[in-house]
Amino acid sequence: MNAVAVHGVGTSHFGRVPGTDLVTLAWNAVSEALADAGPEPVDAVWVGTVFAPAGVAQRVLRAMGITRVPVVTVENACASGTTAFAEACEAVRSGRYGRVLALGLEQMSTAFDGAITPENTDPEGATGLALPALYAMAATRYLHDGAVTPAQLAAVSVKNHAHALHNPRAQYSGRYTVDEVLASRMIADPLTLLQCCPTSDGAAAAVVGPATGGPREVGVRGVALRSGAPWGRRSPHVWGYDIVHETAADALAAAGLHAATDVDVVEVHDAFTIGEIVTTEALGLVAPGEGGKAAETGVTALGGAHPVNPSGGLLSRGHPLGATGLAQLAEIVWQLRGEAGGRQVEGARIGLVETMGGGVSALDGNACVVAVLEAP
Amino acid sequence: MTVVDPRPRVVVAPDGAPHVAGVRCQACAEPVAYPWPACPECGGPVVAAEFGPDGVVWSATVVRIPVAGRTPPYTLAYVDLDDGPRVLAHVDGDSAPAVGTRVRLLAGAPDPHVEVIG
Ligand SMILES: [Zn+2]
Repeated sequence: MNAVAVHGVGTSHFGRVPGTDLVTLAWNAVSEALADAGPEPVDAVWVGTVFAPAGVAQRVLRAMGITRVPVVTVENACASGTTAFAEACEAVRSGRYGRVLALGLEQMSTAFDGAITPENTDPEGATGLALPALYAMAATRYLHDGAVTPAQLAAVSVKNHAHALHNPRAQYSGRYTVDEVLASRMIADPLTLLQCCPTSDGAAAAVVGPATGGPREVGVRGVALRSGAPWGRRSPHVWGYDIVHETAADALAAAGLHAATDVDVVEVHDAFTIGEIVTTEALGLVAPGEGGKAAETGVTALGGAHPVNPSGGLLSRGHPLGATGLAQLAEIVWQLRGEAGGRQVEGARIGLVETMGGGVSALDGNACVVAVLEAP
Repeated sequence: MTVVDPRPRVVVAPDGAPHVAGVRCQACAEPVAYPWPACPECGGPVVAAEFGPDGVVWSATVVRIPVAGRTPPYTLAYVDLDDGPRVLAHVDGDSAPAVGTRVRLLAGAPDPHVEVIG
C-alpha cells in the first residue's frame, strides 16, 4: 500500500455566475491544481457533482485536454466532492493508479431559484421538506432541549462571515452582529437568511498521488466514508449527528489520532448554522451541548482553541454542492502549508475536513466523508 | 407520465380512525411508515401494519420560502406515532407546535396531516 499525499489543489471563485459555463469553472479549478502539483499527467479522474447534466465530466475534461483516461462520476449529495477525493485516495493507496485528479463542480444558479427543491420521488421531498426545513428541525429540537440558544446559532454566522473577510474566493463576507443575523428574513423557523448557505456556482480540484516527501505535499493520514443508518424515533440524536460521529471515529482511527481535539484546524459542513454546532459536537471537538457556546465564546473562531471554518465555511464561501468538499479540502491544504494569508491558523500541523450530504428520508444522511491531513 | 406517490399512505380503519399503512419488522419489531420489502434497520422480513392515529411532536418548523407546488408559509412536524414510526406531517396554521405536543392524524389530506389534540 502507498502512503498518499495531496500534490496540488485549486478552486474557482465562488458565487452566482449563471453566465459562466461549467467548462470555465472547472478549468479555473483544474488548471490551478495541476499548476500546483507539477506537470506530470493524471492517470484517472473522479468527478463529484449532484445536479450537473449527464456526461458533464467528460464534457469539461475534454475541453482541457484530459482524455483517454478512466473518468468516473460520483453522486453523494453534498458530499460528492469529498467522495471523489476519498475514491481518488484509495486508487492511489492501492496502487491502482499513480496520479489521480479529483474534481467537484456544480452550477446551482441555473438549476434552482432558491432553496434546493426536494426530490419528488422521496417521501419527505414530496411532503415539502426543503433542505433548510430539515436542518430547522434539528435547530428546533436543540433549542427545546436547551442545547443551544438563538444567539449561539447566530454566533456561527457572525464568526464565519467574519472569517470570509480574509478569503478572496468567498461569495459573501461581512461584519455582522448577532442581532442582525437574528433579524434577517426567516427561512424556516428558527433559521434566518444569514444562517443559511447561499445559492452558489463553483468548482474545486485536487491532485492526489503517492507521498514522496516533497516540501509542499500534504499527507493524507486517514479518510473515511459512510452512508447513514436509519434515522427515526430510535435515534438518540438529531438528524446527522451519528453519521458524522461514526465517520469521524473511522477517519481518526485510520490517522492514528485519539480525538478530534488533536486536530489544529477544521473545515466542516455548515450549510446551516445548526449544522456546524451539531458537527463540532459529533466530531468530539467540543462536548455534547457545548457547540453553541464554543461559537459564542470564540473557541471555534480564528485565534480560538479549535478554529472551525477559517475559509468562511459554506455559509460564506458558498455551497456549490459537488464542489464543496474539495473546496474544504483546498482550504485545509493551504492552511497546512501556511498559505492561508489573513485567515491562517498559526502553526497548523493536522487538519480535518468533514462533509455531510442528505436528502433521503428516514436515513441519517446519504453520505459523510471525513479526511485527516498532515502538513508537509 | 405517472409517478408513484412516495408519501406515507393514510388509510381509514373500520372504526373511522386514520392510520399510516406501513410495515413492521418480524425480526426486530421496527415500525416503518412505508410498504418497503424489508426492514431498514436489520433487513428482516416485514408484515403489513398500521400506525396511529395519535402521536407526539419530535420537532417542528414553519417553511417561509417558496417550494415547488407549495404556498408558504406552511408548518411541518416530525411526529412520533404511538408505538409507530416517525413521520413528517403538515400541521394547520403558521406557527410551529411545541416539541412534545400531542397530535392526531387527519384523514383525507394528500400529505400526512395532523391536528393538535388536548
Ligand atoms: Zn428489523
